[in-house]
Amino acid sequence: MSSLQILNACKSYGTVEVLKDINLDVQSGEFVVFVGPSGCGKSTLLRTIAGLEDITAGEIRLGGKRINDVDAAKRGVAMVFQSYALYPHMTVAQNMGFSMRLAKAPKKETEERVRTAAHILQLEKLLERKPAQLSGGQKQRVAIGRAIVREPKVFLFDEPLSNLDAELRVQMRAELAQLHRRLGNTMIYVTHDQVEAMTLADKMVVLNGGKVQQVGHPLELYDNPDNMFVAGFVGTPRMNFIKARVLETGIGGITVEYLSDHSGGRLQLPLKNITYGAEAEVWLGIRPDHVKLCEASDAKALPLTISFIEELGDSTCLHGALPNATKLSVLTHGGRRAEQTPVTIKIDPERVFVFDRNGERIRD
Amino acid sequence: MTGLKRNFSRITPWSVAKWAAALCIAFVMVFPIWWMFNVVFADPGVPASLNPRLYPTSLSAGIENIKQVLSETGFLRAYYISVAYTVLTIAGVLLIGSMAAFEFALFRFPGARILFALVMLSLMVPTAATLIPTYLVVAKLGWLNTMQGLVVPGLASAFGLFMLTQFMKSIPQEMLEAARLDGATHFQLYWFIALPLSKTALVTLAILTFMKTWGNFIWPLVISQKPELFTVSQVVSLFNAPLSHTTVDVVMTANLLAAIPPLVFFLIFQRQIVEGIASSGTKG
Repeated sequence: MSSLQILNACKSYGTVEVLKDINLDVQSGEFVVFVGPSGCGKSTLLRTIAGLEDITAGEIRLGGKRINDVDAAKRGVAMVFQSYALYPHMTVAQNMGFSMRLAKAPKKETEERVRTAAHILQLEKLLERKPAQLSGGQKQRVAIGRAIVREPKVFLFDEPLSNLDAELRVQMRAELAQLHRRLGNTMIYVTHDQVEAMTLADKMVVLNGGKVQQVGHPLELYDNPDNMFVAGFVGTPRMNFIKARVLETGIGGITVEYLSDHSGGRLQLPLKNITYGAEAEVWLGIRPDHVKLCEASDAKALPLTISFIEELGDSTCLHGALPNATKLSVLTHGGRRAEQTPVTIKIDPERVFVFDRNGERIRD
Repeated sequence: MTGLKRNFSRITPWSVAKWAAALCIAFVMVFPIWWMFNVVFADPGVPASLNPRLYPTSLSAGIENIKQVLSETGFLRAYYISVAYTVLTIAGVLLIGSMAAFEFALFRFPGARILFALVMLSLMVPTAATLIPTYLVVAKLGWLNTMQGLVVPGLASAFGLFMLTQFMKSIPQEMLEAARLDGATHFQLYWFIALPLSKTALVTLAILTFMKTWGNFIWPLVISQKPELFTVSQVVSLFNAPLSHTTVDVVMTANLLAAIPPLVFFLIFQRQIVEGIASSGTKG
C-alpha cells in the first residue's frame, strides 16, 4: 500500500503562506504531476511529502499512516533532484548504494540491488565512473537509480529534466513513463512544463498561489477546466481570453457580445439554464485551435490584424488583434502563411468556455 | 626552425628583466641554504677562512658533524616531539575546524552570526597579546611541560574555521538533503559528505598548519622548560645561545637538520602550498 493523502496541509514561512489548505488523494501506483508557474508552491509541497520541510498545519498520510513527524529517511520515499545531487567523490555504484551502506546492509545485497537498478537504467558500464565523467542524461539516470535502490513506497521527482536539452528531455520523458509502467510504484513529479505534465501524468494537480486549482486527468483538465488559470495554463498555445457582455439569457443559451459594430462579435452560446443577469461582464475562453480562418464574406467573420507569426512546420500560429485591440491567437494546420496580411476569423461557439468576473467557470 | 624562431621572437626586454629579477630573488633565497650545506660538508675552518670555498669540500666531515649532533644532543628526541606536536596539531585543527565549519556553513542556529563574528574578531588579536593569558590557563590546568599543554592551545584556529566555512558554503544543500533521504545522520552528513568534499581546503589548511607549527618557537619555549619536551626549534636555539661553545659547523649542522623536514615537505607539496597560499591570501 503506497497511497498518499494530504489533508488540509498548510505551510508558512513567517507571515508568508506558501501552501494553503491542500487536500489531495494519490492512489497506489499512480503517476501524479504537480504543475504550476514558478513560486506556486509545487516544490514545497513535494518537499513536505519528502520530510525535508514540515507542514505548519494539516496531515500527510502514507499507506494509511500519519507521517508528519516521521524522519525523512524513514518515510519510505526517495527523491530525484533537479540538480541530480550526486555525490561527486563517489563512483556511480557507490552513489547508488549509499543508502544501503548507511543502513549497514550486507554487501552482497547492496551489490545486487545496485546491479538490478543499473540494468533497468542501462548503467552497467558506468558503475565505476565518477559523476564528473557522465553526461547530463547519464547523471539523471544515476539519480533515478539511487532512488530505485532504496525501493521506496513513493518516488518524488523535483523538476528532474529541467537541466537537460530539449531532445534529451523528450527521450528521458519516455524513459520515465516506461520506468513507471515497469516498477508500478507511486510517483509524484513536479514540473513547470505543462507538456511534460500532460504526457506523463495519470493525474495532474495544477497549483497556483499555494492553492490547488484543479485535480484530474490531463485531458479532463484540458477539456473541462474549472477556472481561467487552469484553462490558460493547460494547453499550448495558450487559450485566448476575451472580455464580453451578456446580452440576454434564455432556455436555449446565452447571448454575449464581445465586439460591437460587427455581427460576428456576438455569440449565441449553448449554455442552458443559466440565470446570469443581462449586462453582466464575463470572460470567454477559446483555444487557438478553435478559432477558424474564414472568408471575409462569412456572416460571422471578424478581421484580425496579424502582429507576428510562428511557423511550427505542421502548424502555424498567428498572433494578432481584433478591431477593439483584444489580442487573439489562431492555430492553423496545413496552410503556411509567412506574410503578415490581415485575415478574417470566426469563433466556434460550441467550443467557447465562459468564466465569471472572478475567473470561475460558468457551467450549465 | 619556425618553432625556434617563434621562441626567440618571444624574448623581449621585459621578459629578460623579469627572468633576471626572478633569478636574483632565487639566488637570495637559495644561497643561505647552500651556504649552510657548504659549511656542514667542509673541512673545519674552510668556509670561514679568508679564501672561502663556495662548494662542499668534505663529505666525511659533514657526516661526522651530523653524527655528533644526533648522538651528543637531544636532537632525535626533539624530532620526535616536533613531529608529534605538528601531527597532533594538524589533526586537531582539521577535526575541530571542519566540525565547526560544517555547522556554520550549512546550518542555521540561533546566534550563529554573532558566534562567527566573535571568532573572526579573534583574528585581529596578535599572538603576543594572548600568550600570557593562554599560559596562565594552561598552567592552571596543570599542563605545563606536557604534550597537551603544547598542542591544545593551538587547536582552535580562527583562520582555519574561516577558510573551511567559506569552502563548505559551496556544498549544495540538495546534496545534503539527498544524503538525509538516504538515511544519513547529522554526523554522517559531516563524515561522508562535507569532509570528503572539502578535501582541497583541508589539504591547504594542513600545509599551512604544518608551516606554522613546525617553525613555532615562542609557545614551546614558554610552555616547556623540561629538555625532554624540547622541540627542534628549541634545541637549535640552544646551539645559538650566546654562551655555547659550539663551533660554527656544528651550529650549521643543527640548523640543517632542523630545515630538512620543511624542505622535504615543501618539495613534495609545493604545488598545494602555492595554491593554498594563493587561495587563502596568507603565508600561514
